[in-house]
Amino acid sequence: MTWSGKLVTGLGLAALIVLFGLFGPLFTGDPATIRDIGLTPPGGEHLLGTTLTGQDVLAQLAHATRGSLWIGVLVGVMATVLSGVFGIVGAYAGGVVDEAFSLFSNVMLVIPGLPLVIVVAGFVPADQRGTWTISLVLAITGWAAAARVLRAQTLSLRNRDYVAAARVSGERTWRVICVEILPNLLPLLASQFVFAVVLAILSEAGLSFLGLGAANSSTLGTMLYYAQNGFALQREAWWWFVPPGLIIALFGGALALINFSIDEIINPKLRDRARRKRDVVAATAEVAPAEPGAVLTVRNLNVVYQGDNPVHAVKDVSLTLRRGEILGLAGESGCGKTTLAYAINRLHRPPAEVTSGSVTFEDVDVLALGPEELREFRWVRLSMVFQGAMNSLNPVTPIRAQLQDVLRTHRPGMSTPDRELRCAEVLRLVGVDPARLGAYPHELSGGMRQRVMIAMALLLDPQVMIMDEPTTALDVLVQREILNEIKRLRDELGFAVVFITHDLPLLLELSDRIAVMRDGEVVEYADAEDLYLRPQHPYTRELLASFPSLTGEPGALTR
Amino acid sequence: MGYYLRKLAFYLTALWAAVTLNFVIPRMLPGNPVDILMAKLQQRGGSVDPAARTAYETLLGTGGKESFATEYLAYLGNLLRGELGVSVSAFPAKVSDVIGDALPWTVVLVGLATLISFLLGVGLGAVVGWKRGTWLDSLVPATTVLSAVPYFWLALILVAALSSGLGWFPLNGGYDVVLDPGWDPEFIGSAIYHGTLPALTIVISSIGGWLLGMRNMMVSAMSEDYVLTARAKGLTDSRIMVRYAARNAVLPSVAGFAISLGFVVSGSIVTEQVFSYPGIGSKLLQAVQNNDYALMQGIFLVITIAVLGANLVVDLLYGLIDARTRDRSTVS
Repeated sequence: MTWSGKLVTGLGLAALIVLFGLFGPLFTGDPATIRDIGLTPPGGEHLLGTTLTGQDVLAQLAHATRGSLWIGVLVGVMATVLSGVFGIVGAYAGGVVDEAFSLFSNVMLVIPGLPLVIVVAGFVPADQRGTWTISLVLAITGWAAAARVLRAQTLSLRNRDYVAAARVSGERTWRVICVEILPNLLPLLASQFVFAVVLAILSEAGLSFLGLGAANSSTLGTMLYYAQNGFALQREAWWWFVPPGLIIALFGGALALINFSIDEIINPKLRDRARRKRDVVAATAEVAPAEPGAVLTVRNLNVVYQGDNPVHAVKDVSLTLRRGEILGLAGESGCGKTTLAYAINRLHRPPAEVTSGSVTFEDVDVLALGPEELREFRWVRLSMVFQGAMNSLNPVTPIRAQLQDVLRTHRPGMSTPDRELRCAEVLRLVGVDPARLGAYPHELSGGMRQRVMIAMALLLDPQVMIMDEPTTALDVLVQREILNEIKRLRDELGFAVVFITHDLPLLLELSDRIAVMRDGEVVEYADAEDLYLRPQHPYTRELLASFPSLTGEPGALTR
Repeated sequence: MGYYLRKLAFYLTALWAAVTLNFVIPRMLPGNPVDILMAKLQQRGGSVDPAARTAYETLLGTGGKESFATEYLAYLGNLLRGELGVSVSAFPAKVSDVIGDALPWTVVLVGLATLISFLLGVGLGAVVGWKRGTWLDSLVPATTVLSAVPYFWLALILVAALSSGLGWFPLNGGYDVVLDPGWDPEFIGSAIYHGTLPALTIVISSIGGWLLGMRNMMVSAMSEDYVLTARAKGLTDSRIMVRYAARNAVLPSVAGFAISLGFVVSGSIVTEQVFSYPGIGSKLLQAVQNNDYALMQGIFLVITIAVLGANLVVDLLYGLIDARTRDRSTVS
């Protein structure tokens, strides 16, 4: 089911049940009328049959649905107000008030609700247990989870610029909350309200079923209570027992579906998506007569993001990477350089598709590899260093586990001490103390994390390393150190590098050859020195001109 | 303050709040529970000496004879000594003994059912999220409806179908009453046989929540950079799914355990009643129906302590599985 399908189903079901509760009682007649036709199965005059005392089940169901919805709405409103007061006001006020409110919410959250409700209901004499009393108790025990969610959201809103601006300009607190903050919380409040309604209907049904519900009320719970005490199931009068529970389940399910599709609208990641069968479509199996000394050859590669408006992200790109060479790939963000890098290793995610072209790695036709061959190819012959090492490292395991993973998978025969030795060795290569093997990613600085990523890429002595903006997030000094490190390692170990960045001056210094990309195309591809001294393409000249020289003269780089 | 200390302090505060709530509720609500209890006690032929009355008054309130503070201190003192009074519905048994008999049944039933439900739900959720785009997606709407089914209704339907209808399971009870409770294989077998259907009810009703939460987190985790890195590293699919995606996706489920446990405990009380299970939930309702206020309060306290304890354990576990929490505690 698509998200819109879910939304329509959910809304339709919920609307039907609400309409049934609102208007059903007007048409079904008196639910209390007793007839001498007890336990008549459904049919003709009584569409849903009769109870033990001959009351019409459909009429009872309509009234009970109305009763349950009423309690649900009462509790929903009260619980939402409570959670708003403790969640929003607390978080907005901050300081001691927030601490106290948040502690109170958390305490109320961990104290189990229904036992508390049962105890309170037990102390209040039955004749004083009205609908309002029960609703109030249910609201008091049911607001805390919502308050916690609202608090988190308010805290983040509170620090937004427009709220800060309103506060600085001297607006009153209640005005800031009502005008600036509440409207932004509305979707969240709505979904919390829906949950509170469902929870209240469920809890009330439980209470009434136990005989602890509101006196003289008629809800789905009391209906089930009478059905159970009339031995409806033992007498096989399923039409008496099944419908009330089904209405509760369907109503809860409908509201859950609505919430679910709202989630999907807010967070597109969650939407259903047809599983892609292939990541490569119609690749030409041409084994390119590789240039002597080439390790990686890309020929006429095309990558398209399929969709209603297909985006042609990589257009007819051809590149050759020689053994031990550093190839720079330059271009603005969005020019397709990352997509190209991912496609070389077939890491591009749907809806991206390689539509034509070839990627040849020495003698291997990468685009033709089966899933298992591809897995064995990756990292052994071609490894990658991604941009933003914080997110590239698994936050919940120490870096030792993430380094050893590679060896465990690709060198299954390696002994544990050897693995440990190899991990320490690569860390030392990139200048990280092997004692940090036990550290978690968050315990390392940005530069250290990037070095760990490079160490990881070195583990299996690959012939090619693709580095996607490996130094962008780092400060200039650390960046410089890491670049020197990369050059030194390349000289020592002899692997080839594809270095991707938007920083052309950096590439001029680092690379042997440079490819400039724009809108998915390689517009210029030349030796670094040639590119610098004799840029051919206007875009290259433009790029070179946009970087000021050290003397401060704009465009000095172009001469 | 360290993460663990902070958690401990929080749960002690929550415990104190629950104990105080237990003290305040009977004093604030209408009705005169002490008189009702004394009348009941008399019917049962119990002693109506002033000592019995004082004991109940300490628990439920003297009606203004003594100051609030004195009553509170006396109440706390009784709790510390484990004196919860005498049950009138199970007269002359003490409340603590009634609870002691019933508690193991509930702890085993609800504990095991919750554990099974959590493991199954999280496991299935991980697979459904990982295999997104296949027929498994249709499980998602189905489980949302399932999680909105009232426990007791499902329990009764299951009894009607599997016990009355097919005769696979006993109708109710916690063990075959002809057996003497004890640690012999026959009795344990009987207890497992009787506990299966209640446990099944709890698992079916609660699994949807775990599954859905895990599935959504799994889908989010799968688009994280560390999963991409893992793929680039050429790791096997199963290793990426378990060690990278699921390992991270499970964290919110564990963090939200407190909320879910509340639902399960609430549902279990009603489920026990349906099955006349000899656990603490049935006893609580028996106490409510008989105005056995002392037993009611004792059971509420015990349930609360058990829930707080379980949450504390899960929170401590969370500190173990997510190193960031331990280190962040100094900031927030």
